[in-house]
Amino acid sequence: MADRQVAERNLMAEMQITDANIERRKKMVGLTAADLSRISGLKEIVLAHVDESTATFFEFLAGLEEAKGLVSKRDLMERARQLKSEHLAAMVQAHYDRHYVEQRIVLGLLYSEAGLDTRAFLGACHALLKNTGMTSMKHFERSPLEGFESFMSLKKIAFFDIGVIMDVLVFERERVIRQQQEAIRELSTPVLQIRDRLLLLPIIGVIDTNRARLITESLLRAIRDNRAKMVVMDVTGVASIDSRVANHLLQTVSAARLMGALVIVTGVSSEVAQSLVALGIELTKVNTVGDLQGGVEEAERLLGYRVVQTPPAAAQSS
Amino acid sequence: MPVPILKQGDVLIASIQAALTDHDLLTLRDELADRVGRLRAHGVIVDVTALDVLDSFATRTLLGIAYTARLRGAETVVVGIQPEVAFAMVQLGLSLEGVATALDLEEGLELLRARSQGGRDHAG
Repeated sequence: MADRQVAERNLMAEMQITDANIERRKKMVGLTAADLSRISGLKEIVLAHVDESTATFFEFLAGLEEAKGLVSKRDLMERARQLKSEHLAAMVQAHYDRHYVEQRIVLGLLYSEAGLDTRAFLGACHALLKNTGMTSMKHFERSPLEGFESFMSLKKIAFFDIGVIMDVLVFERERVIRQQQEAIRELSTPVLQIRDRLLLLPIIGVIDTNRARLITESLLRAIRDNRAKMVVMDVTGVASIDSRVANHLLQTVSAARLMGALVIVTGVSSEVAQSLVALGIELTKVNTVGDLQGGVEEAERLLGYRVVQTPPAAAQSS
Repeated sequence: MPVPILKQGDVLIASIQAALTDHDLLTLRDELADRVGRLRAHGVIVDVTALDVLDSFATRTLLGIAYTARLRGAETVVVGIQPEVAFAMVQLGLSLEGVATALDLEEGLELLRARSQGGRDHAG
């Protein structure tokens, strides 16, 4: 349970839900002081029908294929039921602070865990609102206008809650994307040893500050671990180099030099070269060689290797 | 804490063992400049493996050591800069321009040896 609470706190911070943000959210649904007093007026009616309303919500979900993940799991369902009725009770207390939002996040996380479809959730919310609306309208039979207004006030806070829960659902779904991006990023900066003391660093894709940092860190570690003296950095796969990227590359080169390794940059395409010149970025302090092959050959020469071609070995199978 | 300076052939090796105060650094600089002439050394190696930070003053002092030694006829190599230190230095824009660097002591000695053999007619 404690773990859960920590997770919720973290999520609140990650989603940047602060007190100011909560106030903003209230403003976005148009919640005013008048609404609060009208909601208080509905308190007894709603509290009397909490069980019935909760049942409506879950009955609606039970009829939907998309909500199977939640409905078919007993333990999740029981927790959801309990949280939902607590939710309804809290809704009419007319006090919506950090703690209130936190409780909605708990519910959102539960839905997310159960893989609840966002549309199914909206449908169920609507069913619940309809049910609550009917009960309150029955109570205000004599003054339908007042009843409608009270109900609309309650609806504002319902939309406020739906907003929070939808944010949690979306945020959790995007979490997978964020993790995958992270994984791709780490996979895409390999440092390979191609000869004793010679490393190859192929860079592919977009370089931002974060990635440049990762590249530099993994290169420096590889230089130490492989006792490298030369590094061939191939930027064939980098589509465009602006001043920021160039600066990152320069930093990588000088960091490697501080560890006693010489960096040769290869694969600067003609477009990149022209744009560098046009931008007035000088890479004169960096050794550049046209293509990867040339760079590797130059590095081998500097390391004292000589590649000698001998007659090709006979094919193994004949 | 003073830095021990060892003599190995015609190379002086200053092995920094712990974080140095600015004053220690200046003492090291003066000491090295003095000994390079006295012992007719051709190479100086400053080993910073043990340091986990090199700030701008330390960097400038290392540059000073290198230029002084060069004027007195010796080549300086800074060895053992750790990956984290190197990364932090470039972030601060410190690059030790003009001073030779090597991975560790062994590499540094090798570099000096190669320079004194082949470098006489090329770079000097």
